[in-house]
Amino acid sequence: MMDSQNIPAAQATTLNFKYVPRPGLLKIALINFFLTLITLTIYRFWAKTNTRKHVWSCIHINGEPLEYTGTGGELFKGFLVVFGLIILPFSLLQKGLQIYLGDQHPAVIGLFFLFILFTYVMFGFALYKQRKYQLSRTLWRGIRGTMVGSAMTYSLTYFGSLLARYFSFGWATPAMNTTLQEQMIGDMRFGDAAFKFKGRAGPLYPTYALCWFLTLIVFIAAVSFASYEAATWFGTELSNAYDSIFNRPDNTEPPRRTLEIIGFVTLIIIAALLTFLVIVPMLWAIYTAKEIRTFANYTRFDGAQFHLNATAPSMIWLAISNLLLFIFTLGIARPYVVQRSVRYVFDRLSLEGAIDIDRIQQSQAALPKRGEGLADAFELGAW
Amino acid sequence: MATAATYFDGKSARDRNVTVVAAGNSILFSGPDVPPTSWSLSGLHPVDAPSPGQPYRLTHDNQPGARLIIRDDQFVKSLIASSPHLKGGYSKRDIGSVVGWTLGGLTTVAVLGYLCLTLLPDRVAKILPNDWRNKVGKEMEQSVVEGARACTTLAGEAALGALIGNLAQGAPDMPPISVHIYDLNVLNAFAVPGGNIIVTRKLIEAADSPEEVAGVLAHEIGHVYHLHPEAQLVRLTGIDVLTSVFTGTKGGNMTTNMAFLATLLKYSREAEKEADAYALETMQKASIDPMGLKTFFEKVLKLEGGTSKDEGAFKALGNIFATHPGTEERIKDITPLPAGQKAIPALSPVQWQALKSMCEK
Repeated sequence: MMDSQNIPAAQATTLNFKYVPRPGLLKIALINFFLTLITLTIYRFWAKTNTRKHVWSCIHINGEPLEYTGTGGELFKGFLVVFGLIILPFSLLQKGLQIYLGDQHPAVIGLFFLFILFTYVMFGFALYKQRKYQLSRTLWRGIRGTMVGSAMTYSLTYFGSLLARYFSFGWATPAMNTTLQEQMIGDMRFGDAAFKFKGRAGPLYPTYALCWFLTLIVFIAAVSFASYEAATWFGTELSNAYDSIFNRPDNTEPPRRTLEIIGFVTLIIIAALLTFLVIVPMLWAIYTAKEIRTFANYTRFDGAQFHLNATAPSMIWLAISNLLLFIFTLGIARPYVVQRSVRYVFDRLSLEGAIDIDRIQQSQAALPKRGEGLADAFELGAW
Repeated sequence: MATAATYFDGKSARDRNVTVVAAGNSILFSGPDVPPTSWSLSGLHPVDAPSPGQPYRLTHDNQPGARLIIRDDQFVKSLIASSPHLKGGYSKRDIGSVVGWTLGGLTTVAVLGYLCLTLLPDRVAKILPNDWRNKVGKEMEQSVVEGARACTTLAGEAALGALIGNLAQGAPDMPPISVHIYDLNVLNAFAVPGGNIIVTRKLIEAADSPEEVAGVLAHEIGHVYHLHPEAQLVRLTGIDVLTSVFTGTKGGNMTTNMAFLATLLKYSREAEKEADAYALETMQKASIDPMGLKTFFEKVLKLEGGTSKDEGAFKALGNIFATHPGTEERIKDITPLPAGQKAIPALSPVQWQALKSMCEK
């Protein structure tokens, strides 16, 4: 035995991340699915918790697994509070007004838009609180994480970023995302040790411009293709067909041939749109991957720098395979989808530089008592 | 038996080496900078069930933040052998509480569902003020006919009035109704709140005798008599509230929507049966040949190829042609007037022509 008086000076160590799968996820998947079904989805809070407990415990940092300490009851309480304070009063008010004033009354429509606005303004709040809850329920070496900033400040920035993106045709995205990430990461703590985020949006712009213009090209190509196809197949017959649809006398059946043409053209347009809907998200994976890599490099913990080797093809594959897995198992495989997404990150995450782990003390921040009510209402993430 | 382990005190991230010894009802551990500590077995909890490749982690009621990490499989095995609750996973109590909460929850759902779907709609429908019923009915009528032309001719209105009057002979307590014919190219008739009945041009065209129109009207008047449109409206509102209770969102999700849609259809099937019965009784008492209703049903079945192409909302509002298992059965239940009871024509040939030509321009 060593002399207890002679404790060696704490030394900085490097950290390595590893996802170590273990059996038991199938059982969780089946139990979650069955109970969620027969409880008309109320079990979802416990289902999420079961999955998180398992997946968290597979994330090993220097051989020491993470621990998820949240409970289904906390998520359920979060739901009840949001439901009781926001959703229910709003629903009752809306129903009441609808019944007294009718569907089309300005007050009813106004209230509806007010709710939409509320959703947009509070979206960032929900994201921030969700992160705060999850960090506060995540232990590593007995130490938990937290968020130390204001969720409302983040939410207003988030709302501002939505407006900025909208009015700049998307071009504000890299700058706004960088600002948002800086706020989010800057507020993150593990115990009393802070995460830091520092970097400019500039390096993201070439990739953003590439994706933006490629999207434009794909859009123009899809529209030209659809109209070219329609024109070559039917020529002038087409414009006549549309003409006869829009200018026909009241309530007469249009001729069969007209309906056929319109139907076929509609099919071509739908095909073009679908192509667009598949190709465009794939294109944007190039930007998303670049943003993830860049943001990881901008992130430091106790002086060490993160790297996350995200690539567009691997992200596309992850998204498509997760979607197919989810659809073809009718959602039973949801825990596997979570595992695959988490695993994607931790298989590719590394930290460059050494950290003096022993120095880190437990966070003194108060623990949130409930979690994620608003995130549940906004259907943020299936985890 | 002793083994080496790692201890985290929950105050700092520092790992401390300790030696753990199993000692009867507790485990003891101590290390170079950890004073001797005793944790009772009964207060111990595993963080996870033991799993290969995974360190076994323990915590204790007395120090909820502290963690003891044991990597010696043999030691863990013997520890679990002495106190099975350290195996983790689902205990009998966990399973019991899940079952209990689930049953309790399902009971609550059943009670709420019964209130919102069965008990309340009919009662609420009866106490709704008339001007509100009329207002909602008018709004619904507008949204269903979507600006189609209302067919009105003096002679036609008179014929329609006569037809309703003849039917009323068989139903002295017939509720006040108002029948509107619209120039719509779909074959349909339905009742909306406030006693308003909408009939389409195509239906009038498809009818070959006044008895067929009388049958359709009697069926719709049955809906009005039983306040089906009003009750269905209350039911829809109840479903809306229930759905948002479950999902916490407006609009619900797939599971809840499917459950509620099935419930809704059940009620509209029952409503159809009640309206059929009302129609049959009224026509028999008014001595109008009920076979009109039957031939019209058969015609529609044939026209529509046995399936209704109409929107779900129409069905919910008491669409006369809502097709579901049992349409043939409904037809079968319609019997002719008893022998000896002489049928009187629902309309005279002149009146019938006036009704038929209402939508002509």
